[in-house]
Amino acid sequence: MFMARSKLYIEEHYPSPLKHTWNEFQKSHVSLTGLWLLCIFLVIVIFAPGLAPFDPNKQQVDILLLPPSWDSSGSIQYLFGTDSLGRDLLSRVIYGSRVTLGISILLVLISMLIGLTLGAFAGMGHGLRSSILNHFLDSIMVIPTLLIAIIIVAILGTGLWNCMLAITLALIPRFIHITRNMVRAECNKEYVTAARLDGAGRVRILFDSILPNMIENLVVQGTFALSAAILDISALGFLSLGASATTPELGSMLSDGMELAYVAPWSIALPGCAILLMLVAINLVGDGLRSSLRHRLQH
Amino acid sequence: MLIVAVTGCSEGPISASHADGVIYCSEGDPGGFNPQLDTSGTTADAAAHQIYDRLIEFDPDTNNIVPALASSWVVSADGLTYTFQLRRKVSFQKTPYFTPSRYFNADDVLFSFNRWREFDHPYHNVSGGIYPYFVSLGLEHFIESVKRINGYRVEIKLRQPDSSFLANLATDFAVILSEEYAQQELVAGTPENVDNLPIGTGPFKFESYRKTSHIRYRRHERYWGEPVQFEKLIFDITPSRSIRLAKLLTGECDAIAFPGHSDLDIIQQKTNLVLDEKPGLNIGYWAFNTLKPPFDNALMRQALAMAIDKDTLINAVYFGSAVRAKGILPPTSWAYQKNLRGTSYNPVKARELLDEIGIQPGFTMDIWAIPIERAYNPNSMKMAELIQGYLQQVGIKVNIVQYEWTTFRRKLREGLHDSVLIGWNADSGDPDNFYRPLFSCAAIVSGTNRANWCSKEYDDLIDQALRYTDPQERRLFYQLANSILQEEMPLVPIAHAYRYQAHQQHISGFKINPFGGVRFGQVKKSQ
Amino acid sequence: MMSYLLRRLNLLVITAFIVTVASFALVYLFPGDPLINLTGIVPANSEAYAQLQQEYAFDKNLFMQYVHYIQEIYQGNWGLSISSHNSVLDEILLFLPATLELSVYALVLSTVIGIPLGFWAGLRYQRPVDYGILSASLLGYSLPVFWLGLILILFFSLNLGWLPMSGRISLLYDIPHYSGFILLDILHSGLAESQAAMQDAVNHLILPTLSITIVTSSIVIRITRRSVTEVMESDYIKAATARGLSRGQILWRHGLRNTLLPILPQLVLQFTALLTNAMIVEVIFSWPGIGNWLLQAIYQQDFPAIRGGMLAVSAVVIIFTLSMDVLLRLINPLKDRDVHGTI
Repeated sequence: MFMARSKLYIEEHYPSPLKHTWNEFQKSHVSLTGLWLLCIFLVIVIFAPGLAPFDPNKQQVDILLLPPSWDSSGSIQYLFGTDSLGRDLLSRVIYGSRVTLGISILLVLISMLIGLTLGAFAGMGHGLRSSILNHFLDSIMVIPTLLIAIIIVAILGTGLWNCMLAITLALIPRFIHITRNMVRAECNKEYVTAARLDGAGRVRILFDSILPNMIENLVVQGTFALSAAILDISALGFLSLGASATTPELGSMLSDGMELAYVAPWSIALPGCAILLMLVAINLVGDGLRSSLRHRLQH
Repeated sequence: MLIVAVTGCSEGPISASHADGVIYCSEGDPGGFNPQLDTSGTTADAAAHQIYDRLIEFDPDTNNIVPALASSWVVSADGLTYTFQLRRKVSFQKTPYFTPSRYFNADDVLFSFNRWREFDHPYHNVSGGIYPYFVSLGLEHFIESVKRINGYRVEIKLRQPDSSFLANLATDFAVILSEEYAQQELVAGTPENVDNLPIGTGPFKFESYRKTSHIRYRRHERYWGEPVQFEKLIFDITPSRSIRLAKLLTGECDAIAFPGHSDLDIIQQKTNLVLDEKPGLNIGYWAFNTLKPPFDNALMRQALAMAIDKDTLINAVYFGSAVRAKGILPPTSWAYQKNLRGTSYNPVKARELLDEIGIQPGFTMDIWAIPIERAYNPNSMKMAELIQGYLQQVGIKVNIVQYEWTTFRRKLREGLHDSVLIGWNADSGDPDNFYRPLFSCAAIVSGTNRANWCSKEYDDLIDQALRYTDPQERRLFYQLANSILQEEMPLVPIAHAYRYQAHQQHISGFKINPFGGVRFGQVKKSQ
Repeated sequence: MMSYLLRRLNLLVITAFIVTVASFALVYLFPGDPLINLTGIVPANSEAYAQLQQEYAFDKNLFMQYVHYIQEIYQGNWGLSISSHNSVLDEILLFLPATLELSVYALVLSTVIGIPLGFWAGLRYQRPVDYGILSASLLGYSLPVFWLGLILILFFSLNLGWLPMSGRISLLYDIPHYSGFILLDILHSGLAESQAAMQDAVNHLILPTLSITIVTSSIVIRITRRSVTEVMESDYIKAATARGLSRGQILWRHGLRNTLLPILPQLVLQFTALLTNAMIVEVIFSWPGIGNWLLQAIYQQDFPAIRGGMLAVSAVVIIFTLSMDVLLRLINPLKDRDVHGTI
């Protein structure tokens, strides 16, 4: 086995671009830690019902506002303590992470797909239509995403679904913009010209030549969009425009906990920490990916 | 004590402007500055005792009726004629928008009464033309005439004896407006100014109001009563209970409205803060819209009443600082019926009843929760969530509905709700003040009968009760009324909450007013 | 230069067009009667309604309605707020300066803190100082601003009692509205206690400004650091090093200008995010600004106000971005035409 793999000739080995990026990424311990943290959160998102010790909405009125277990009056059974309705905070944070992160990932994927399609169209196209779209995008980009989301929520009414729709709509222009610029940049490169000279059609050029070269960049942009989506969804929840108070969503949990901030500081500290850790993980991964991408392209 | 306070003040490092004002963190926007037009507590707080006076007043310590703008009064033997002798040399406030040319006199009393009493009064339809408190009590029908005997004497004649009449005149809503100012605005074509830029005889004059932000008042220099001790009064409108507490802790508020029941311990622990407590004349309840099926069915209402555990609600929402309500009257009222049996928690029976009237599991209903805190329900959202949990056990799904307060009250009056968690704060110590506004047919129009429930039999009973002055006799009628309410269950009485208010140690003379709005006239600030 | 200015002007016109069309569309998109959503006036009867219709060209086609809408906007008639019955524009002019004041201080502070730290980190690339600053900025950049605000209040206001937690100034000071910038207004008021009022206003400013600054300066640090590392790796710096110039000389003569110029446009783009953060922070600190006001409008379903608020905020962002763009172009005519920010 071992022998079979050994090489007789010294052969220069070229890893595939993806592999190369991964190698670069691996070099940074910090980025790896971020990735591990993100994986833990993903496990929470998927297996929340199995991980949470209690039903997040089960009210136990005999143990209201129990402090976390590390407090002298806390109980080990309720690791993070309970909230003002006697709901187990650990379970709520677990479910809250599921709702907040899970929904954000979903929204980013959807808006990326839509943005990619429209962006490719804008990037490949020429003439008036494309120009109008570009100007339109430039104007939309000027308005803060959260403000767009707030206005959409004002039209549709509050609630988690409307809030999801609003954030998706607010994220799409960014993806269109990025895709358009990337497609534009790639279109002028020689390999695309070569493919065009070979007689490849526009669609074929897009799928066979341009898209594979954009994937990593899109992933990087995806991580930024993800952190923006998490911030927006929890901000809307916090402003009571998003998820209702009964849905365990980290932002609305925070605004719920604000009522008792002084009596039960842990009820704002813990959901906030969950958001913070999530964002740190995502930003670490995003940063790591981007710098390894840059390294790869430079060398 | 006072001397110590005053010398302390002069030595204090705080600048003059700081010691010269009191900031009160209130819980919501007032609906206007005329309590005649609005029964909400926020309006009463902002206007009733700051800007205005009444003919007579409740003493906050003894609950007795004491003279105010009327220095004395006489009731005829048949209980039909009330004659008020008015106080002399009482000045109205002078502001940039109005300069009074005369003292308060009988014309002002006539104007104030006739505005809501006479449908063809030039001011009757100004600012909406609805006078909920008086309409809910049917006062415009009870009063036969309001007559000016001379400049300082007014006579009011009733159609039938009303043992709660004097108490009604002492409530937050029976304020005395300035007739001269009303004429000025009528001529100028802006009569609604009377309700938005108010003029009264009270201890403070209105300066400015910015919605959702603050109200400013200044001392009324020529106030007829005891002189006000400080120059500026500010209502800092702070809807969030936790922020009010926080502002009290940081010293940004001198006093706060409705400290959270969960926060009472914290306030008590702080040596620089004072917590006042009084049993409240109030009721927090869960009312069903009896005009909407299936809530028009008394059995449905009975079933829902049995599905909830009031003790738990009281523990979780009031943190134990409330009395479980059996009927509509709190134990402090003289007409309280000791042997009344309230509903008890029985989900099995509730489910049986629901099956009996054909309510399938999975039935969905709305519970509206008031968006602001009131003494009678400090956290109605939380209560709604708890009830949601209870109703789930009997197979009913609950949507919790909440709007901003002004919108909430408007939609409630339109009768769009299935059920609502709200309550009632007494405006006077009279039991009629509970029975009539909450359940009488007239109160549907005025918008205090949240159940939209109407019964001729019940109305007759409470009308009868008013004809007697002997408490023992009146009590009998109210017991009969109680049994109708038990049967019909238009609303589930939940709790009578204690009333609390918290303030800094250096504030004195700030008393809990058992009936209605806060009073700042007697408050002193020392350093 | 001329063609550049024309292009910018073109963009300004198109953007303004799109934003006004969008805000006009809101009139129809919001629930309820479009005419009431536009004017904020609830007509008492059908005659009043018809008259209102005529007044606002609502009996004509959509295009005419839009043209009329633009005229009204231009003349300052932005409709009435449904909840307060005041002119929406008047209310915006009352609340917007408070937001701008907060944003400007935060922007200045973020730049003053962020750029030097970013430089320091970039010059010590991949050394402990760099790692330290980078980690701190990553943390700062990951903080949800509303949570940060709450934590600051818990710590500095409630536990330590050092700083106030709500509003712009103690309400006991009645500062007349003049410019809307509280510090300027205090100076202008000439009150006897203006010294104390100033102190009080500054105390009120510290925590909200700090919340925004922590988040924004983290981003500034990252942008600056990246630019510095790129410049320091470039050939002309290497050449200068080869010529034997000292590090300080290199930095001063070549580094500074070449590092700063490319990041300025990116910093300008951060203003949008900063303004959003400011609007959220307002809610936590009960800051009487446009964010707080807009949110109240949403809670009360005050559609004329929501529309006006959106229009005003977009206008601020557009005017700021474009004018900074022109300004930067004047400083650095070589600048690439399109710079889009990445973090």
